[in-house]
Amino acid sequence: MSRYLAYPEIVFRDRELMLAALAQLGFAQVEEGEDLPLFGYHGDRRVETAALVVRRQHIGRWSNDLGFARSAQGYYPIVSDYDRETLLGGTFLSRLRVTYAERVVETVRTRLRGTVQRATEGSVVKLRVRY
Amino acid sequence: MPEVEFTIDTQTGELRMHIHGIAGPACDDVARLVKELTGEPGHEEATAEYRLRPSIHARTSTRIQSRGT
Repeated sequence: MSRYLAYPEIVFRDRELMLAALAQLGFAQVEEGEDLPLFGYHGDRRVETAALVVRRQHIGRWSNDLGFARSAQGYYPIVSDYDRETLLGGTFLSRLRVTYAERVVETVRTRLRGTVQRATEGSVVKLRVRY
Repeated sequence: MPEVEFTIDTQTGELRMHIHGIAGPACDDVARLVKELTGEPGHEEATAEYRLRPSIHARTSTRIQSRGT
């Protein structure tokens, strides 16, 4: 049985941007509510609950539900250690953060009515918004 | 031209932001917008550029009306 780990240090402040980032990564079907239960791949109910849940049926055969709990700072992920290691080749959390960050930049660009220039230096992406 | 530079580390997903070309607290508006979307930063620092307060030149015009007596 894979245990769940919470990552309160990884916070997604904006619900809309987070849902969009999830959809971009292929997780468009998200259940929303309060204290939604999380289930493991056997269908076993776990003690953890979440406000946003991607059910395991939409992830993979051996996956567990993927949850996001709400805090005062925003939403933070609750991911099983199995999925943390296997989802998107073990890059799920970092890719979600990158995708979310790019959507933050796009939102800022739109609100400032600016233009964006993109440059990549190794593993670092620089986005300059001018307005 | 004002510029907001974002740096994203694709290995970790860490996001950094640097605001250029806006002297004084006017850049707070941009910082506030980003914080709305990202939450409070782990580290925040005002640069020397921030501390340059824009000078304000007040212009007063006085209109003198002649009264017909």
